[in-house]
Amino acid sequence: MKNPNTLKKKLASRFLKAMKKLKYKMSPSPPASIAEKKRRHRAVRAAAYASMASAVGPRRAWSRALLRKMKGRKRARRNPGNMNTRFGLNHLCDIVPGGEAMDSCSLLNETAHYIKCLVAQVQIMREILHSSSSSSTIL
Amino acid sequence: MSSRRPRSRQSGASHITGDQMADLLSKLQQLIPEISSRSSHKSSASKVLQETCNYIRNLHQEVDDLSHRLSGLLQSTDADSAQATIIRSLLM
Repeated sequence: MKNPNTLKKKLASRFLKAMKKLKYKMSPSPPASIAEKKRRHRAVRAAAYASMASAVGPRRAWSRALLRKMKGRKRARRNPGNMNTRFGLNHLCDIVPGGEAMDSCSLLNETAHYIKCLVAQVQIMREILHSSSSSSTIL
Repeated sequence: MSSRRPRSRQSGASHITGDQMADLLSKLQQLIPEISSRSSHKSSASKVLQETCNYIRNLHQEVDDLSHRLSGLLQSTDADSAQATIIRSLLM
């Protein structure tokens, strides 16, 4: 199993790079319109999932599915004779990227890994927020 | 949706046994704070799956919310110092 610290470092460095890129792309003044705010919001969110997917790379089915989606490729084939509904996994396979193409065993494995990455990503984003707010506010 | 104990005699793409299923589910159960803190004994399969879905949905929502707040940060100059702090703390 992957060392969680290595994963987190990888995630953090990619996400920070992506954020930096976004910062340079955008105009320095605060967003004028609601549409612009929404655009920035979506861009950050996309960067979060993109850095998750690229940090994990092709090693996992869920990250492959996300990478495919980002590149605009077609989805993988649906799992033929899908057994997911038998075990009540039909909601889960819709939530985990690429879930519809997985058998039950893979789906549960992928879910576990996906959760770990999501948790790490959320921690990183919180830490970025926390450190920026603490450096700029006077308490 | 109920969970049925899977039989290994079934034919199909995934020959998953009841034990395999239970193993994977208990592994998931440990990851989900909702369940693992409440009881040490096994929850039902459908409960674990349901809580898993809820947990992932919540995480997606958190990513969305944090993205929103971070996007507000983008134009501030503090983002760079934040970056330095993070990298330092992560490398410890």
